[in-house]
Amino acid sequence: MDLFLQYLANGVVVGSSYVLVAVGLTLIFGILHVVNFAHGEFYMLGGYAGITASTAFGLPLPASLAVVAAVSCLLGLGAEALLHRGLKNQDQTSSIIASFGLAVALQNAVMVTMGPQPELMHTELAYKAIELGPVFLPAPRALIPPAMLIIVGALFAALRWTWTGRSLRAMAQHETVARLCGVKVRRVAVITFMLGATLAGVAGFMMSAVYMVHPLVGNMIVLKAFIVVIIGGMGSPLGAAAAGLLLGVIESMTSAYLTNGLRDVVGFLLVIAVLLFRPQGLFGRSLERS
Amino acid sequence: MLKLENVVAGYGRTRILHGLSLEVPRGGLVALLGGNGTGKSTCLKAIAGLVTPQDGTVALDGRVINDVAAEDRTAMGLSLVPQGKEIFGGMSVAENLMMGAYHRRRDKAGVAADLEGVYTRFPRLKERRRVLAGMLSGGERQMLSIGRALMSRPTMLLLDEPSAALAPRVVEEIAEAILSLRDLGLTLLLVEQNVGMALEVADYLYVIRGGRIAFERAVDDGVGMDELRDFYLSGAH
Ligand SMILES: Nc1ncnc2c1ncn2[C@@H]1O[C@H](COP(=O)(O)OP(=O)(O)O)[C@@H](O)[C@H]1O
Ligand SMILES: [Mg+2]
Repeated sequence: MDLFLQYLANGVVVGSSYVLVAVGLTLIFGILHVVNFAHGEFYMLGGYAGITASTAFGLPLPASLAVVAAVSCLLGLGAEALLHRGLKNQDQTSSIIASFGLAVALQNAVMVTMGPQPELMHTELAYKAIELGPVFLPAPRALIPPAMLIIVGALFAALRWTWTGRSLRAMAQHETVARLCGVKVRRVAVITFMLGATLAGVAGFMMSAVYMVHPLVGNMIVLKAFIVVIIGGMGSPLGAAAAGLLLGVIESMTSAYLTNGLRDVVGFLLVIAVLLFRPQGLFGRSLERS
Repeated sequence: MLKLENVVAGYGRTRILHGLSLEVPRGGLVALLGGNGTGKSTCLKAIAGLVTPQDGTVALDGRVINDVAAEDRTAMGLSLVPQGKEIFGGMSVAENLMMGAYHRRRDKAGVAADLEGVYTRFPRLKERRRVLAGMLSGGERQMLSIGRALMSRPTMLLLDEPSAALAPRVVEEIAEAILSLRDLGLTLLLVEQNVGMALEVADYLYVIRGGRIAFERAVDDGVGMDELRDFYLSGAH
């Protein structure tokens, strides 16, 4: 039982990073109908930006976080111009292929500038730990779930109760009527991409103190995020949040009680099952009804 | 107030309007009639900025607005109630109405006052203000769509078949709402399939055929149903 709780905690930590990545991915899909395969690179670059700021420049963590957010916003701005505005009049396949291209370009850019060797963020926090009964978590891990809850909670509150949030939901539900209300597509698109990139970038930043970051880390992350988005119901932020935690926990349990080799496979099996038996997702309640 | 001159517009390579001209005077209630698929909605979309004319001009208060984006025309006082009772199905009735005031969201007091105004006009919406708009009946959806348009404080309202697929009692309600809006000083352009209703409320009439205006007359000058029927039946477009 004690070990089970430890595995559960480990799963929630990793799952929290999935939530951050997947919520942004599902927003970009739900609001702009862009399938963004470069989303894993938002995570990867968040990790590198954070490591550079904190390790190379010795900035304190809050300042590093601000750097990560700034880099992510710029990245979101560029990605929007390329994948959304630039391809607005093309069909969806174009943006899918373009996002693949963007992913590869970003991977290689980082490979050239940072080198292929994996990096870990070193912080003072690593020497602290939190013990909750039988559960033991080093501080960099323990901070991830509460940080995720704060960020995602703030995001959902903003979507629900602010004019900007309302305009994003309006655009997801009915673009034409939203435009007739005076909502500018471009503004919504930029905000959505910036949000998505920042959520993923912050996840990559926080996780870079837990797992090594390398230029190709986004490949696996984006696949995980798509698994989460499908399980949660395409375009449903709440579903992605629930499914992200679920996937993290299931992976952790699989690795603990079955075999570690199945850890990265179990999610795909889950997706196949969901697509077969409940294609709208386990928690399907998309932006269109939120 | 609104003037279209030789507007040519369509979708991609398909041209639907072949040089359409019409005029709506300030405070007027003008009806635009025509058979199915003749381009009535396309005409309203050209006025609202959802389709861009390839030729000709759309002018509001003497200013050509061809290049103004749909998003910006709301703030100029133009508001379209689109065909099909389109609303935000996943938002509450109150949120739908709020969205109508998006372009003047900083005016908190004004938005709150206008919300009460819409509730007074359509008490059904007040009763159902917390309900998801997707759950509303057809009549309620139409009221919500009109209410949403009014929340932008328009000077000119474009209505696309507001009476379609509604029970006669509800059509009567909508017609009364339209007349009361006219009495408030709003300028209205009404597209209708329901000729009876259009003749009842409008003061001027256009009939569109083949992407052009084929007939126009002040309603007071008398318009025979037979005369109109000719335009519908003989009308290949
Ligand atoms: N979005 C669109 N894309 C392509 N063709 C369209 C579109 N909307 C309408 N049409 C075509 O344009 C013509 C006129 O449509 P519309 O203006 O909606 O007619 P009406 O409102 O008079 O019934 C129709 O033949 C219709 O098929
Ligand atoms: Mg129509």
